[in-house]
Amino acid sequence: MTIKYEPKDRVPLPPPDAQVATTVCDYCIVGCGYKVYTWPEGRDGGPTADENALGVTFPLPMLTGAWASPNQHGYCVKDGKKHNVLVISDPDATVVNRKGNHSIRGGMLAKKCYDPEGHTRDRLKHPMIRVNGALAPVSWELAIEVMAKVSRHIIDTHGVSSWGMKTFSYQYFENTYAISKLAFEAIQTPAYAPHDKPGPGNDTAGIDDAGINTFSACNEDWSLADVIFISGTDPWETKTVLFTEWMMTGGAKMIFVLPRKSGGAAWAEKHGGLILQIIPGTDTILHLALARIILENGWQDQEFIEKHIANRWEIDSGFGRGTRNTPWQWRTTWGKFGASYEQYRAWILANPHAELAKASKMTGIPADQIMRAAEMMAKPVDGVHPRTSFALEKGNYWSNNYLNTTSFASLALINGAGNRPGRVVSRLGGHQRGWMGAADYPRIFSPEKQTGRRKKEIDLDRWVEAGKLRWAWVIGTTWIQAMCASDELAKSFRTLTIENPHQITSVDRDHVIETLKQRADSGGMVLIHQDIYPVEPIGTELADIVLPASGWGEHDFTRCNGERRLRLYSKFCDAPGEAKPDWWIISQFARKMGFKDFDWKDSNDVFEKAARSGRGGVLNYHPLVHYAQKIGKRGHELLRELGTHGIQTPVRFQSKATESQEYLDYAGYYKSTKTKGLIVGTKRLHDSTLDPGVPEGPTVHKKWLTAFNSQSGKGLLHKSPWELFADFYDRIKPREGEFWVDNGRMNENWQSLFDDLRRPYIMKRWPESWVEIHPDDAARLGIESGDRVVLENDDVLIQTGGFVGVDGDDLSFTKLQEKGHIRIGSGLCEGIAMITDAVRPGLVFTNFNDPRPRASSNSLVHRVPDPITNKYRFKLGKGRLRKIGESPYKHSFEQMSFAPRTIM
Amino acid sequence: MTRILDTHAGSVCPHRQGAMCLSRRQMLFASSAGAITLLLGELFPGRVFAQDAKRQVTVASYPRKRIGALSELEQDTPVPILYPGDEELYSGSVLLKLGEPAGGGVGPGQDVVAFSAYCSHMGASLHGHYDATYKVAGPCPQHLTTFDLRRHGLLVAGHATQSLPQLVLELDGDDIFAVGVIGLIYGNPNNLDLVRS
Repeated sequence: MTIKYEPKDRVPLPPPDAQVATTVCDYCIVGCGYKVYTWPEGRDGGPTADENALGVTFPLPMLTGAWASPNQHGYCVKDGKKHNVLVISDPDATVVNRKGNHSIRGGMLAKKCYDPEGHTRDRLKHPMIRVNGALAPVSWELAIEVMAKVSRHIIDTHGVSSWGMKTFSYQYFENTYAISKLAFEAIQTPAYAPHDKPGPGNDTAGIDDAGINTFSACNEDWSLADVIFISGTDPWETKTVLFTEWMMTGGAKMIFVLPRKSGGAAWAEKHGGLILQIIPGTDTILHLALARIILENGWQDQEFIEKHIANRWEIDSGFGRGTRNTPWQWRTTWGKFGASYEQYRAWILANPHAELAKASKMTGIPADQIMRAAEMMAKPVDGVHPRTSFALEKGNYWSNNYLNTTSFASLALINGAGNRPGRVVSRLGGHQRGWMGAADYPRIFSPEKQTGRRKKEIDLDRWVEAGKLRWAWVIGTTWIQAMCASDELAKSFRTLTIENPHQITSVDRDHVIETLKQRADSGGMVLIHQDIYPVEPIGTELADIVLPASGWGEHDFTRCNGERRLRLYSKFCDAPGEAKPDWWIISQFARKMGFKDFDWKDSNDVFEKAARSGRGGVLNYHPLVHYAQKIGKRGHELLRELGTHGIQTPVRFQSKATESQEYLDYAGYYKSTKTKGLIVGTKRLHDSTLDPGVPEGPTVHKKWLTAFNSQSGKGLLHKSPWELFADFYDRIKPREGEFWVDNGRMNENWQSLFDDLRRPYIMKRWPESWVEIHPDDAARLGIESGDRVVLENDDVLIQTGGFVGVDGDDLSFTKLQEKGHIRIGSGLCEGIAMITDAVRPGLVFTNFNDPRPRASSNSLVHRVPDPITNKYRFKLGKGRLRKIGESPYKHSFEQMSFAPRTIM
Repeated sequence: MTRILDTHAGSVCPHRQGAMCLSRRQMLFASSAGAITLLLGELFPGRVFAQDAKRQVTVASYPRKRIGALSELEQDTPVPILYPGDEELYSGSVLLKLGEPAGGGVGPGQDVVAFSAYCSHMGASLHGHYDATYKVAGPCPQHLTTFDLRRHGLLVAGHATQSLPQLVLELDGDDIFAVGVIGLIYGNPNNLDLVRS
């Protein structure tokens, strides 16, 4: 699609009678609260308070979200008629985006609305079936019947493991509840994977195994810390308002660990912080070295360790001696990992990888900087341990998943972090928290097993490539470009779908059903893609059936942000054509299959039913639904009254609040005169300063409310032996002429690229994917900013077998290779060169998961998951680099900028 | 106050023989109300790259105001000016000579540009925040947004949902005139509100 940007010098204002709804940003985990104003065309308001629905008189003072730029205005359809829509960050917010602070992405939410005459006009509007290679509109009834009949055949003929789903894990409780109810409860298939990994399971298992919930902190904690250790992410780029509103303002010194100096890291360095510019994949070594310096100097938080760290007896007895057939049971009790403080200390002090000189060499970080970081985070000031908080994200756990996260958690624990205000351990997060599982993943049916009695979740990509999946229902993800070795995965998808001899040639019901059955029986795969836009290539080229989903702003939905703040995402406009919410599509299919309890009346009905499934979890909102019913309200309606403030989960019922008013004002609460008591939110988890009182009504008090999430309630230290990673790491290091290819997103595209491709201003800023290159490397290769370059890797490692481990090291990279379970593929991606010394020499940094053709950096990344957790190492790609010509942006004043992002 | 059109600057209309025909650019600065859409190539004749010339921009009717002189500018030294209104809030702008060609730049080096001094994210003042090496405005002291002044104020990094509003400049000998604004200046729903008040 060609996108043209036209700057405007005015913005229409909503008239006093414009309709107002509250919502939350659709994008990053910070989840800023927004207000949406809609009004019919031709009835704009004026600049004085009585002339507009904002209730303000212009000009406005600085720093208010009430002012809107022209890009905060758009058009939508409401009750079948064109309306103006203005979406502004809530200027009255007292939490999250206080006073209306916002990012560029949230700021442009209005441009996301479906506008039949605008850039979102390509929204999917009707169910379609691919006939003779082209998509033809069909009725919902036909699409659903075909899906049900073919599914029944595949499940009966090939078993439940041949019927799979790949879906978002975050796009609202109502939808994920429906998805998980279908996959895990009704069908009970193990062939399921979330959008960002090859199978279910913890993203950061090492943090969870330590007893720390990865979203235990609240935003305020970051402003209370003296020091923040930030690994593998730059919150200025990707958690914008968390950084500008809570981190920058608290005065904490920040230590960034990144291979590339990003904007936030540059700001931190200028304000007394540090950037440790690390060689990809070596975070574990850095964590070990830091721990060793701290222990050698006696800077650990001994008082905390004695009170809050599990001893050997607590580890063994706490986790029991039972079957140990869950991942966390075997990991924590296996002597290779779980350790008491004494064992951990002895292991660190005797570990050659923790020696400063060796660590400095392996990580590429000067020894004095590692020493300085250890001092900042741990050296007592006037006898008091600094309040140090620990944050991590994908650069950390998407390079060496288990060892990076265990070593990170242990480093945090010896610094006394994890259970007090300002001393927290948390992921900073990616997507918002929108998973509400109706049932547990049926791990027992998974084809994968660790050595011994240790089932583990499926690697769905390997399952596809092994020809085991006959049915793939893909919801809200590109799947192919999002996973590793993506060019190779695309080939497999083509072979299994459009290159299979059984192709639909007419919309005749029986013909379609019969053809797709034959597809599956012949070893091919039936592919369904359900999304809001046409997605290349999975929807546009490959899928047999494409289903139009409706989404943000088109129905009432709910989910939590990164501090577990639950809010309603209100409906304010029409969905395009016949597009339906994902839960509705699931319910139609499930009922056609004959499954019970899928007959939801509306979105609120799903929300209320789902509440019971979340009762034991950190996103528990069941007391809210219970309270709403007692006062005669619907759950969504009570939440609507809580507006952009919402309430932090787990929600608790109390007859009388035990928390301070300040606590309640932050966490959120709701009190009605129609009944006794109130519901209150929960600011942070593992909160040793919280007195939650006695559990009342429907409230569940889990141990992790005030203690760590382990059987003993104590934090668990882990060893992280480098040897478990070393064979793979040594194999994938760039060879002569190759670069490390690392990847990430720029702020302007963070979690919004699917919409950004339709936003003219963003396409002006970032018209294509990009590649950051160090000036020395660029000079050697004759590359200048604005040149078009290609990255190619002909040494992409792909695991093909190894589903079941029997002997101890069966699933190690060395053994997989010996047994012929590793094949070599290739991949490439292109982008526009940006020359900058922000990246290390020998490393290039490019756009993550760019869905456009020839732009997927995941094509360069090995598809060999961490054998301990089955998680990918997205950040450890490699490739050769060459110039292929000049881009038009090299000589344009209009599009793209090559100025560095580190001007701070 | 709007610019009085110098009719002698009109050219012969190819459509109506003998009649004076105003170019769209002249029409823009002659009209007293409303916005006009025109191409970048018309707005900055001879001063944009060929591939950019067809891009559309909307510019409203603005006062023509002398804001400085070429001979008084020192490279990389921003000069505070007021445009389109007469009060710092929010007509505060800066005029500066970048020392290298810029989109919309005037002068022999096509390097003299002027921009609003208020961040188009949340209105913080950018006075005193200019990076001479990369010709970047910012970082904004509030939330660290930066703008590329060589590229019509395009966002480099940060949170503003549009470019830093750029003043349209004209030269008359040594004198520099501001004649319009591209983009909405923080604070009002319409730039012309700054003129009316």
